[in-house]
Amino acid sequence: MYSLHKLLWDIRRDQSVEASYKTNPDVVLDEYGIDGDWRGWMKGLDFKSMYEHGINPYLLYFCALQLEVDRAAYYAQIRGEKEG
Amino acid sequence: MSEMGKIVGAFTASHSPGITAWPDRIDQRQRVAVYSAYEEARRRIEELQPDAVVAVSVEHFTNFHLGNLPAFAVATGDSYLGPVTPEMGQFLNVEQHQYPGHAGLATHLYEFALEQEFDPTLVEGGLAFDENFCVPLKLLDPESRYPLVPVIVNGVNPPWPTPKRCYNFGQMIRRAVEAQSAAQRVVVLGTGGLSHRVGTPEAGQINTDFDRDFLERLESGDADRLIDYQREEIDAAGNGAHEIRTWLVAAGAAGTPFEVLTYEPVPEWLTGTSVAAARM
Repeated sequence: MYSLHKLLWDIRRDQSVEASYKTNPDVVLDEYGIDGDWRGWMKGLDFKSMYEHGINPYLLYFCALQLEVDRAAYYAQIRGEKEG
Repeated sequence: MSEMGKIVGAFTASHSPGITAWPDRIDQRQRVAVYSAYEEARRRIEELQPDAVVAVSVEHFTNFHLGNLPAFAVATGDSYLGPVTPEMGQFLNVEQHQYPGHAGLATHLYEFALEQEFDPTLVEGGLAFDENFCVPLKLLDPESRYPLVPVIVNGVNPPWPTPKRCYNFGQMIRRAVEAQSAAQRVVVLGTGGLSHRVGTPEAGQINTDFDRDFLERLESGDADRLIDYQREEIDAAGNGAHEIRTWLVAAGAAGTPFEVLTYEPVPEWLTGTSVAAARM
């Protein structure tokens, strides 16, 4: 879980990580050693699943905004109002 | 011999980004109430002529992360950048600039804390501000005149320091101020809260019962009641409600009842918004 928390933080803080993630998420996910369900949720920007499995909501929300996910879309997804 | 320091005032205030970013989106009555309260607090602080402001807040993963998350941190720099990026400055409607630091008082506070068996993290430099300080200080110290001693309390990721520990940390701040003479007139400012939720499915819900009960306890001056919270009780007011720890630190430093200058549950800001001042 720490690796994912760190990736979420780095995407917000480091423009090079953000750019790399937008271009080729698999390379970045490999670098951070994120695999299994976590990898699928992160790659699919499934914030709801990550939240429900204990990821800090501040980091999720800030990372979503950094990845240009619309604020209303973020909340709709995390509330289960529509598929992410 | 120089006079020893004294806490001459203590204030608490919310720091929702909307306070500076979109003031016009809220109901006019609420707008008048909130900004009048900040203006009253600004006026009182100015009258107190502080040599330094011990500014207590959380920080929203702007500096710290889960590889390094202090329960308490004391920053001892000469200056602080805020908001952390120009983009955040645009978002908050706060021009990015350097805030002055009171390194002398801050270093003393850090050393005093260790001697008193509190163990805050030392941040000698590099601490940047987000809405934690930039939003309230735009209204309370718009010219950034007062040298700051930033104190960070973890309010963003469980487990958090207990309410009692936060109150006691504030009492320690008071003793520290009174044990030095580098800054004789010191104001304590706690920012954050009240009820709100960030990034969770319940975002937008404001728990007015929690907020009003908390403010009643703050006004009572009864420390035992003020710190009598279980985690679940604060959770019920949202993950952002854990920021009330900054108010508890300020209350411990003041040691007096508070006067609530305003309380408004502002839906557009997603936050129970309040400003209060210690009756000192």
